[in-house]
Amino acid sequence: MGKKIGSERLGDLYQPGKKVRKRREWRGVKDTLYDYSRWLHTMGILGKFMLNKNNVKAFFRYRWMLNFLAVPMMVDRHTAGLRGNHLRIAHTEYDLVVEDVAKLMANMFRADKNTGNDREFSKKLVILDENEMSHLLCGFPNLIGVGREIPAVYVSVLLQQDAVCHYIDVAQEYGLSGDVCPMPEAEAGVSIDDDYPIFGACALQCNTTCDGSLMGNGVIARRLEKEHGIPCFQLAAPIRHTEDGVQEYAAQEIRNAIKFIEDCTGEKWDWDAYFECAKRFNAETRERMEWLQMSTTEYPQVIGANLALYTETVYMAIGGKVPAFLKADKKITKLAMDSFRKKEMIVPEYRHRAIIWGVQAQYYTDFLPWLQNCWGILPLVDMLSMVSTRMISEDDPKQAIYDMAHLYENMIMRNRTHGGYKVLLNDLWGFCQQFHADMVILWEHMSCKALDGMHGLFEEQAREHGIRLIWAVHDLMDPRVVPRASLRQDVNRYMRSVLREEPLDPSLEEIDDADSW
Amino acid sequence: MKKRVVKIVKIISIIAAVFFVISFTVYFFNLDMKLTAAIEPYLEKWHDKVKRERKL
Amino acid sequence: MKDLKYLYYFEKLLDEANNELVRRAKEEGRICIGSVCSLVPEVLLSLPGAFTVRLRAPRTGSIDMGTYYMTSFLCEYSRALLERAIEGGYQFLDGLVAPDACSMINRAVENMELLKTMPAEKFFYRYMEIPMKADDNGLSVYVSESRAKILTPLREVYGIDTSDEAVRKAVKVHNEICDLITRIGEFRKEENPRITGYEYHMITLASYVCPKDLLKDMLEETLEELEKREPDSGKRFRARVVVVGSEIDDVDMIRLIEESGALVVADRFCFGALPGREVILLNDSEDALTQVCRHYMYASECARYMNREKIDGRREYVDRLAKEYHADGIIYEQMKFCDYWAYERMVGSHVLREEYGYPVLSIERPYAIGSSGQIRTRVQAFVESIEIKKLGKKGGI
Repeated sequence: MGKKIGSERLGDLYQPGKKVRKRREWRGVKDTLYDYSRWLHTMGILGKFMLNKNNVKAFFRYRWMLNFLAVPMMVDRHTAGLRGNHLRIAHTEYDLVVEDVAKLMANMFRADKNTGNDREFSKKLVILDENEMSHLLCGFPNLIGVGREIPAVYVSVLLQQDAVCHYIDVAQEYGLSGDVCPMPEAEAGVSIDDDYPIFGACALQCNTTCDGSLMGNGVIARRLEKEHGIPCFQLAAPIRHTEDGVQEYAAQEIRNAIKFIEDCTGEKWDWDAYFECAKRFNAETRERMEWLQMSTTEYPQVIGANLALYTETVYMAIGGKVPAFLKADKKITKLAMDSFRKKEMIVPEYRHRAIIWGVQAQYYTDFLPWLQNCWGILPLVDMLSMVSTRMISEDDPKQAIYDMAHLYENMIMRNRTHGGYKVLLNDLWGFCQQFHADMVILWEHMSCKALDGMHGLFEEQAREHGIRLIWAVHDLMDPRVVPRASLRQDVNRYMRSVLREEPLDPSLEEIDDADSW
Repeated sequence: MKKRVVKIVKIISIIAAVFFVISFTVYFFNLDMKLTAAIEPYLEKWHDKVKRERKL
Repeated sequence: MKDLKYLYYFEKLLDEANNELVRRAKEEGRICIGSVCSLVPEVLLSLPGAFTVRLRAPRTGSIDMGTYYMTSFLCEYSRALLERAIEGGYQFLDGLVAPDACSMINRAVENMELLKTMPAEKFFYRYMEIPMKADDNGLSVYVSESRAKILTPLREVYGIDTSDEAVRKAVKVHNEICDLITRIGEFRKEENPRITGYEYHMITLASYVCPKDLLKDMLEETLEELEKREPDSGKRFRARVVVVGSEIDDVDMIRLIEESGALVVADRFCFGALPGREVILLNDSEDALTQVCRHYMYASECARYMNREKIDGRREYVDRLAKEYHADGIIYEQMKFCDYWAYERMVGSHVLREEYGYPVLSIERPYAIGSSGQIRTRVQAFVESIEIKKLGKKGGI
């Protein structure tokens, strides 16, 4: 317990059979007070959110809203063991993510037929897919893109591990197989269970990450169009996205999508607004590249789950639209540079430098802080953070269409699950070299066919490249299939029996968080 | 006048100190999460009763 | 009914991927291009000098190697194909064109490539982008991909004539076979059909895995035979069903359904004839390639197409088939782990039951069904439920 990194036995904070931890971490006076101030900030956002009557109505209308009771705990889980600048970097990220999600939900509930029912405002909203880039809204400054699945499903599972089990069960009660990916399954389940807010001038769906995701959209669109009269556009981004031959097709889909939004909303595409966002997006990309560059050195600073979650928000959901994110990026870079110069470390000892590959267990994104705190395995970068770093045009409308097409083809996760084996398999070994990694933690999401289909070749090629490969098997959003403890056990077994190492923090090796949020 | 200012400052300081002590206690002992964990089951029961039109 | 003359021969052809007709065509010096999905326009792989085989893994036993490379969470069809490829079962191929349409099949073919399973010196792999919506933009990419991934390698690697004229020749041969199969299939509309679903499945399946021209005489003879064939008197089946769903290349599947009391009158699944064995109509004012691609794009009933018209059209098509073929019920089937059909089966079975009023059976199945007791029991129960409903209607209940 104290100021020094690694001074607290983090495993002692868990309470078997309970949803929450005994107490918060003591990080020394300065860092504890800082963490306390950020907790107050989070509580302030939540308090302000609940002062709005639409949001209160939503709280008692939508089952998934209960998950948001656990927001402070989610931040705690992702800041476990952090001190100094690293704690500040994490809070800078989460402060904005929490604010952004609160704003997104407030917009939804203002327009929602079941809560605020502001019809005029509803006409300004465009429903987006979860995991979909939002760049198409950059050229419509009077419209707001809102992903209904983000708070209902995607964020919910980050907050509480069993958040969407109810919806998975609903979908299966309707006859959906149990072997499809739980994410689109839960999204379809929310729709079947009549638990999505109803609003919007139109919806822009996309074949995002996988076959299941594409099909889940069909279920959601059915209710949106037939019951609520909200027109849907299916944006078909090419699968072989690395090939030149499909780029014109991709670009035409972007043009068609723009026209669809214009037709549905009466708004006109605004190139000035788009290029303003493009400039900001490029600046954000440059900041991210700096962080990645640092991670190739001996003193990485912006890493792991926090980098992944923040990148998802900035790259995909924000897309240059919100100036506050660029400001936060610059602050993060400043803090990281300061720590880098001082050669500060995130945990007391770096035993292994790891690339985290595959699709993360959404119910256990804080598995990465556990890796670093328990075993000294540094999760340098993960697959979700390794997205496009290409600069997009800031002034050429013709090129901008192709840039948007490129970004929609290279959405998070999709850029690796689609596009052939090279982007999934070959790129991994390239990243191992670039980041001087000696280990790969490979999330094996059991119902992700694109990843599972390369299982044997990952094994064989890891051996060829002299990389230590640890499988972390999970079921994305259903901890009933693979509990968190089982994921840790995968690592513990390897570290003990293959590498014969002792944990940095033995209290974390075996923890009982089966009932925890 | 000065006395009044001192008094106001004193009251504000006391309120701030009490707020700090209470909120820090809540923060450190995770009482916020313990409370929400306790009320969540009741809210779940509420949601089981909310009418929804289940269909494809 | 008297057995069809060539039925046993067709069954034999289906016993192995490298069957007698494939070997004969290879001996004639033709090149064989494999494909793994209905979304690759098979007629373009059958240009003069070439022929195509849709890959199956008949008599699949262990799929341990396929499972090692792709885990047990991928569909057994993809694992069985990979297993067979590793065993050397497709070494007669000269190229393989795969659509990047479903992740599992795509990964199966990628594994085949990375594991160097095909020894032919000039062997090529191509992965096609397939449109996900049937519209003009989709057609443009279909055409450009077919040109780049099928015609160009055929011409450059094997010197095959890929001209417009050659495509039209291939369509002509394709149409002759499809016309025969369609005419044979028409008998299924009769009140007491003179052909069983199993027999028809054998014929159709053979047309996907053999050089089509080599089947022509046999199909003509079969059609003649059927025209004269007298169906058994009395009721040979208790219900007529349309089978809808994912890939079925296992000869036992339709047999099992029919042994359980249902007659399969329409085959709306991959490796089936509806769609797949309809004639491709070409005009002279537009290039053949574009017309072929348009045909495949609009005719396809693959669950992967994501635009609303296609989605709703899939259910309307099943309704149309049920009416045309006088079906009493619909069986929605899906191979386990198939994402596309998991969703399509769920929605389709609800829609056809609730909105169209058909009795629907919804089943998940393995690749090789064998004599699955579970599925047999479910089909039997379904047939009984249809009978009870019919009796209820007659009795005015």
